Amino acid sequence: MTLADGRSPDPPRYFPSVVLENRTLAPGTFVLRLSGCGALGGTRAGQFVMVRGEWGYDPLLPRAMSVMRVENGFSELLIKAVGKGTRLLERSRPGDRIWVLGPLGRGFPPPEARRQVLVAGGVGLAPLLMWAEEAARRGLQSHATLVYGARTAADLVLLQDLRSTGVELMLATEDGTAGRRGRVTDVLPLDGTPRILACGPTPMLRALHAMALARSLECHLSVEEEMGCGVRVCLGCALPGTERPFLYACSDGPVLRAEEIRW
Amino acid sequence: MTDLRVSAFGTSFATPVLAASGTFGYAREMADLTDLSAIGGVVTKGISPKARAGNPAPRICETAAGMINSIGLENVGARAFVTDKLPFLRESGTRVIVNFFGERPDEYAECAAALSGHDGIDALEMNISCPNIKAGGLEYGTDPEVAGRLVEACRKATRLPLLVKLSPNVTDIVALARACVQAGADGLSIINTVSAMAVDARKRRPRIATVFGGLSGPAIKPIALRMVYQVARARLGVPLLGIGGIVSGEDAAEFLLAGATLVQVGTANFADPDAPARVCRELAAFCAETGVARASELTGALDVDEARLPYSPGG
Repeated sequence: MTLADGRSPDPPRYFPSVVLENRTLAPGTFVLRLSGCGALGGTRAGQFVMVRGEWGYDPLLPRAMSVMRVENGFSELLIKAVGKGTRLLERSRPGDRIWVLGPLGRGFPPPEARRQVLVAGGVGLAPLLMWAEEAARRGLQSHATLVYGARTAADLVLLQDLRSTGVELMLATEDGTAGRRGRVTDVLPLDGTPRILACGPTPMLRALHAMALARSLECHLSVEEEMGCGVRVCLGCALPGTERPFLYACSDGPVLRAEEIRW
Repeated sequence: MTDLRVSAFGTSFATPVLAASGTFGYAREMADLTDLSAIGGVVTKGISPKARAGNPAPRICETAAGMINSIGLENVGARAFVTDKLPFLRESGTRVIVNFFGERPDEYAECAAALSGHDGIDALEMNISCPNIKAGGLEYGTDPEVAGRLVEACRKATRLPLLVKLSPNVTDIVALARACVQAGADGLSIINTVSAMAVDARKRRPRIATVFGGLSGPAIKPIALRMVYQVARARLGVPLLGIGGIVSGEDAAEFLLAGATLVQVGTANFADPDAPARVCRELAAFCAETGVARASELTGALDVDEARLPYSPGG
């Protein structure tokens, strides 16, 4: 149940982790490597954690982050500094304490021996790199193509890690400085009716949503909404559903099937 | 070892610290993340006679030391609550207070009746003050006469202890408090969220779909303390439940000193699901450190030179 469901077999835990390394990959884009994350061992690609540093009451709420890697009690998060909370995380140093709640939510379906196209926009890459590394471990990398897009070449990060997975890699930049010029949705290889797995900015997800519904493609989208708690008590991260009035990004998702969402 | 036990409206509580409505779901959501038996109790998500779907997104936004929400009182409805949610709460090892409301005046009494006669509910908390439903709570919660009639109707509909959660969005909270107590309220929860708004200047749009929402978190603690103190000073003869921006044990102590018998931890639960239990531990430590044997001794023990009060609340 848990594997197909994209959920960890373990319940979420709330615990303090310690920053081991804060690695800058591009201006404003960084990877936090955290220790003390044994509770995240069963995390599935696409699941997330709520994280918060010890910075007082402002900002008050934790930040939702897809998990990029878990191994031997360590975890890695790929973060872009866009607001108050992520800018504080960007300044965190080795030894700083970060409170973690997770693993949370429903992740992507696991790799299978069938044609799959992964679509990553910006730091939406994190859960798809995790998925690709899982595919490589299971010898299923040849079935997947990862289309990875950003504004400009400098924002394309972790390319070496992506290449190591053996998953076919297609790059796209809006300014044409690397890979194909344009958005990821302009360059998708849709031959062979692939299953689509995507994570990135909402406009990208909406475009994929429309495309998947029009072509009847199986499509799994990792959605992003303003989130307060991560555990379905604040009910803040609602988005309109087809079978129910609202879905919650934190617990019904963050990975939802396109046909579940009423966009 | 500090004694945190307290008793209010005929009910004993292991500690004076409860989890506030709308921040703890139906408790099951938090059970893996905290020890429910370590806290005084849980106030459930607000229940209405029929299920409600809630408001469109965006429903929340973060503000300085706080957040604004407009969830729209989404809930499973009274019947589903009793069948699906109450069994877990009953076995949770903590006190259970069910927050409830109606979309129309007659639905309040209907809901109070529907929630009565079931094992596992220790008290009801009437929400006459949620700013987030159209033609809803706010009007009831701002007019003492209307609020009094509503409380009176619910009083007749249930034998459970009946608490009323008051709105801070009023000129004279003491007048409202008095009307509710005269109509039969057994306790007052002070305060609900503060009506508020946030603007995204770059998009030139409000940051909440319903434009206005309710502000909560540490940003509102000073407002809440002032209102708890005002109502406590009016000596209405019922226990007060202090709510508003409590994050630490010392915050809880401040509310007790201002006159609260119990406190509720709300928005802090979003940042820390263990917050109510942590506040209990910190309150015990605060008491030990300041030479207080029983936390209940703090209630109303604020040292105030009343001659210095600039105006006379409830006078």
